[in-house]
Order: sequence, then structure tokens, then C-alpha cells
Amino acid sequence: MMSELLKANLVAHFAYYRRSRLLLAFGLVFLFLTLVFSLPAFILSSHVQAFSVLQRIFSELNGLLILFSAGLGLFIISSHLRARNLKMVFTKPCPPAVWLGSVFLSAVLVSLMINLVILVLALEVSLVCRMRVVGGLFYTSADTFAASVGLIAYLMFLAIVMHPVIAVVFAVIFSSGTFYTALTWTQAAIEAGSKSAALRVLKNVFYFFYMLLPMNHAFAKESERIEASLRVSRGEWHYAFYSLGYALALSALCYGLSLFLLQKKRLI
Amino acid sequence: MIVAENVHVHFRRGLLGEPIRALDGLNLEVREGDFFGLVGQNGAGKSTAMYCFLGLLRPTTGSVRVMGAIPEIGSKLYNGVAYLPEEPHYHLYLTVEEATRYYASLYGKPVPQKLIDEALERMDLVQFKTLPLSKCSKGMKQKVGLAQCLIHETRLLFLDEPTRGIDPVVVLMIRDALRDLHRRGATIVMNSHVLSEMEMLANRVAIIERGKVIVQDELKNLTKLDQDLYKVAFESGGALPDYFTLEERRDGVAAGTVPAARLYEFIEYTRESGLRLLECSLKKATLEESFLKILRGDKDLNQIHQS
Repeated sequence: MMSELLKANLVAHFAYYRRSRLLLAFGLVFLFLTLVFSLPAFILSSHVQAFSVLQRIFSELNGLLILFSAGLGLFIISSHLRARNLKMVFTKPCPPAVWLGSVFLSAVLVSLMINLVILVLALEVSLVCRMRVVGGLFYTSADTFAASVGLIAYLMFLAIVMHPVIAVVFAVIFSSGTFYTALTWTQAAIEAGSKSAALRVLKNVFYFFYMLLPMNHAFAKESERIEASLRVSRGEWHYAFYSLGYALALSALCYGLSLFLLQKKRLI
Repeated sequence: MIVAENVHVHFRRGLLGEPIRALDGLNLEVREGDFFGLVGQNGAGKSTAMYCFLGLLRPTTGSVRVMGAIPEIGSKLYNGVAYLPEEPHYHLYLTVEEATRYYASLYGKPVPQKLIDEALERMDLVQFKTLPLSKCSKGMKQKVGLAQCLIHETRLLFLDEPTRGIDPVVVLMIRDALRDLHRRGATIVMNSHVLSEMEMLANRVAIIERGKVIVQDELKNLTKLDQDLYKVAFESGGALPDYFTLEERRDGVAAGTVPAARLYEFIEYTRESGLRLLECSLKKATLEESFLKILRGDKDLNQIHQS
């Protein structure tokens, strides 16, 4: 019964992705940028220049993919809540847990598919330009996928709690990165000799929010370095698995909170 | 089938949290096999009551039991339950066929294509099956909602103003489908402002006013409240008897009502005056008349409860 419900919901969600004009526009921009960014790599004769272009394209596409994935989670939840059509689903023997799970799974599958398309494109460019296929491409893909999974779950949760526009603003401004920057400033001021008690309180507040809010990349420094060089040593692969582990733990937390709030929400 | 006991639903609205009593001690019982009508003015609490029965709203206090269980969204209780919302809150990005299949699949069983085709054909939707719901009229969306009820064995169907804003041809089709479902044993609970429609379909009716059920009875009892009156029409030119209540006077014919206790006196009056009596029948109240009288407090509610 559960598999039938999951299948029915997944089919409906994929239809939503196919027909959402907002996602279509986003996808077209994505495709356009892919084509524009890919052209120089085919034209440039030097392997060094081509590699540099490939690295930049790959990095930018993965960045766009993370944004796109976050959008998937946000749009599908908020559009169903605004359309108030969930009462057609939950007045049938389809538990909210299954519906929410299917939404998450569908967004993750779409994200994974695009992730693989980008990876295949990068591999093709490498082969066409006679460059060595580097492990960093696979590492960055895996890391991007992990970041996408975490963000999908986080934006789904925010979309249930608040209006989608506020959710986006919240996700951008109240990110762990913002509080990390604020934390380093206060830390620097304290280390420079400031004895202000308020500054110490602020430091703790920033630290609390830095720890509380989810990170886009669990191992941002390591990932950035690998993404910049597209070189990964055997000992660095575990960061990708840790990132995925972090994303799954974050997803489980967001899923639980989202489910709780969805059941409490007035769906009429 | 449905038992609601002393159900209160209170909301808070606005920044100041102004309290609103959507339901205020609602008591109601729907029996198995009923075609149950919920009638009342706008804001009386009909839709809120339905949301409570569906588990979409939890009562602030009181209890609601549907088929013996407390309704929880998405639970197994909904096997055999279907709901058609008032507003077309459907998955507008799906086509007619996809939506029918999707809603039918949410019962957790595989849905053969043959059943979907039959349901679409029954609701005259075959030529529109590839049309997205976003481009369908309200009537077509309601037909999609009914099509899924025809696929599964629906035991309990909730309808919130199903024919509001729909053209008469589709209304007839919906009524036929509802009668068919009821004949097949489904219990139907319907909200409607169209009292003539309720009179055609329902066998039991509850009148809700300010969150309370003020009358709940068999439709036949509610529509025979005026059996103490006779509807008469006669040729009349001059003064009318004081016990005669005039409703219409045209082309020398007066139409109105006479109390049953004074019927013989009235007949005697027409005979003596040489006036031709054109019509004389026991006045049967329409649901609309009863509804309005009950709301105005013209009728003794005890009389209704006892009937």
C-alpha cells in the first residue's frame, strides 16, 4: 500500500516539476548558461586554459544546481499549501508522512538527475578537449549533491513555516555563513583586546546561531580547495561521505519538524 | 456513521486575537445510509463542521467520531471516504485523467485503466481527459472529484456546496451521480445553500445557526410543518374573511391560506357567497419555507423535535 501511495505521489510531483513555469524558466536559464559556459572550452587550444574554463563552468553550474534544488523544495511545498489542495490528499488514506517523504524524494531525484547531467557534460568536455579526467569532478558532484539534499530539506521546512519569499530571505540572511562571519569579527575584536561584556555575549549568541543553523557545505574549506583545483587525494574522499552524512542528518531533522508542523497546520 | 457531541471550535483572528466561535456546542448524528443535508446561513458553521468530520480541523472541545474513530488526516479511516471541496482546490497542474488516477491511487491500491476510463465516461469527461485542470471549468473539476468516487467503493462522501456556480446540465449530472452513489449504499453528507436541491436529494437535514444545530430531523418532518394550513384559491371580488391570509390576487382570483380548523367555515363562506373554489389542498411547506420560519423563530422547535 505504501509503495503504491509513494508511486502515485511521485508521479504527481514529477508532473508538477515538468509543468511549473517558474521551474521551467529556471531550467532554461540553467541550460543557456551551460551552453554559453561550455563554448570556450571547445574553442580554446591550450589544455591549461581549457582546464581552467572547465573548472569555472563546473563550479558555476554546481552552484546553480544547489540554488535550483533549494527552489524545488521551496516551490513544491509552498505551491501546494497556497493552492490548498492538500485536503484532497489527506482526506484519503495517504498519511502526511508519505506525502512529505514523496515530495523530498522527488526533489532529490530531480536534483540527482541534473547533477549527473552536469557531471556527464564535464566528463565529455574533458574527453573532447583531451584533458585527463580528474577525480575532483566526481568529488565536487558528490559534495554538490549532499549540499542539495540538505538544502531541499531545509527549504521544505521553511516553506511550511513561512511565506516562500520570507523563507528565501531567511535562508539567505540567517545562514550559518552570516553568523560565522559575525563570529570571526567578534572573536577578532576580543583578541585585539576589547573587554566589552556585550561583545562576549554577542560572540556566544553568534556561536549559538552558527551551530543552530544548517550549513550549505559541511566541509566548506576542504570542498572549496578541491573544487578550485579539481584534484582530490584518496584521503580526502571521506569529506564527501561526511557531507552526505551531515545532509542526511539535517534532512531527517527537517523532515521530522516539517511533518510535525504540517500535521498542526490548518489545511482548509 | 458520524457522531458529533458538544463540539466547540474557537479561532482567534487578527492582530488582537479577536475570538470567533465557529462552532458552539454542535451536536449531530448522521446514520449509515443517510443522505444528510447541512443547511444554514453563510458563516453558520456548516463548512467548519464538515472540516471537523474530515479531521481537517480539531475541535477545541467536544468529540467527533466518524465510523467509530476520531478522524485523523491521512489515516486508514479514509478508506471508503471521499470529499469534494467547495472551491476547486484540486491539483491544477494535472490533466483530467491524471487527476482522476492520482486521487483514486491515494487509496493505496492499483487502479486499472479500465476503471478510470469508465469513470471518465460516466462523468462525460472522455474528450477532456488531456485537458489540464487549470483550464477546466468548476463544473468539470467537480465531475473529476466525483469520478474518483465512482472508481472506489465510497462508503462516506462529503460534499461542500457541490453545485454552486455550476451550469444546470452539469448540476443534473452531479445529482444523478449522487443519487446513484446513495443507491449503492454510500452515506452522503452535503452542505448546500440550494434548499430545493437538498429537498430533492436529502432524507435527513440539520439546520445550523451560529455554530449550533437548531433542528435535526427527517426531511419529511421538516416539510410537513404546515399541515395545519390549507392552500386555497377562489373567485373573489369583494372583502375577504379575516382568517384568510392573502398571498396573491390576480384576474379576480384570490390565492392564500386558511387554517385547517376553519376550513369548513371557509367552504361555507364560498358557497353562500356563490364564489367558485378553484383549489383547496393541504399546504405542504417547502424546506425553504421551513428553514426561514425556523430561523425567524416562527415555529416552536419542540413541535419539530417531537414530530
